Amino acid sequence: MLEASNLHKRYLKTPALQGVDFSIPQGQVVGLLGLNGAGKTTLLKLVAGLLLPDRGAVRFQGEPPRKHRGRIVYLPEQNPWPEGATPAQVARLFSGTDPGFDGDRFHSLLAFLEVPARPFGQMSKGQRARANLALALARRAPLYLLDEPLAGIDLISRDRILKALVREWREEATLILSTHEVGEAEALFDRAIFLKEGRVVKDVLAEELRKEGKSVVETFKEVLA
Amino acid sequence: MRLRVDPEAGPIFEQIVAGVKAAIARGELSPGEKLPSARTLAEELKVNPNTVIRAFLDLEREGITETRRGLGTFVREDVDQTALKHELLLTAARRYLKAAKELGLDAKAAARALLEVEPDAGSKQPT
Repeated sequence: MLEASNLHKRYLKTPALQGVDFSIPQGQVVGLLGLNGAGKTTLLKLVAGLLLPDRGAVRFQGEPPRKHRGRIVYLPEQNPWPEGATPAQVARLFSGTDPGFDGDRFHSLLAFLEVPARPFGQMSKGQRARANLALALARRAPLYLLDEPLAGIDLISRDRILKALVREWREEATLILSTHEVGEAEALFDRAIFLKEGRVVKDVLAEELRKEGKSVVETFKEVLA
Repeated sequence: MRLRVDPEAGPIFEQIVAGVKAAIARGELSPGEKLPSARTLAEELKVNPNTVIRAFLDLEREGITETRRGLGTFVREDVDQTALKHELLLTAARRYLKAAKELGLDAKAAARALLEVEPDAGSKQPT
């Protein structure tokens, strides 16, 4: 369903990705794991069609991701909305432009994630993260790309976010979640792709790993150290 | 039913299977009782719903549970609680025997120690 072949991307002289390949079937929950600077964000942006690779290609359902922009939900690490905007205002924007946006689902997500009705600028980091997740998950799409949705936020928010992800997950949807802190997210992943210095250094099914007596967290330390 | 999973302790689906069996053996889940939905359990444990579904399929294949269409997953009425208890007891016994062997003691010594602590085990252990 989603294929990346030989992806290369560099910024000026700094190589960000140096030949990334993978193939992700529909419905898989993938942890894209790596330290800061490993190329996770670049990779997600290429998959979202927000960047073009220097070499190689991404194919989503056989076509370039740009052709499927509206069907790929990309949640950037930084809050993308103006400080003065409220989640409800952004939701109105989405409901006018994205036929997949589900207003009822958005309201139930706001309640579950305990998002306050205030502008983004007046929210804590955790609240902003939860608000953005509500906006992202309220859009019905076959592919979700979440960039570091758990980074640097409080424990309670992380817990809620993980629960919301499980709750809203639909078996036909593919989800790629990038993180540099595996921790409590590891039980969510069907599969873990480890990225180091712009290359895939390991790509495994999480339960297979556990069968060998290892956890994703341990493997993270092992391959990325 | 209270379940716990530890991603560092082997495949999660196996832990869920073992956890449900243990709950039945302890009487926390009775024959005929409904299990939480895969989604609810996944949310509670913060694990991938696929993993819970796989565990439920395993339990069904082993004759522990059955799925009634549109109603959910139930513990089978004919589930053999005695056998499940025995299975759990053997697992615990293996662990205990291993600990004894690490001390250079055999099964007989281990069994004697069990009987030795038995009289006061009930009063000392919080329930």
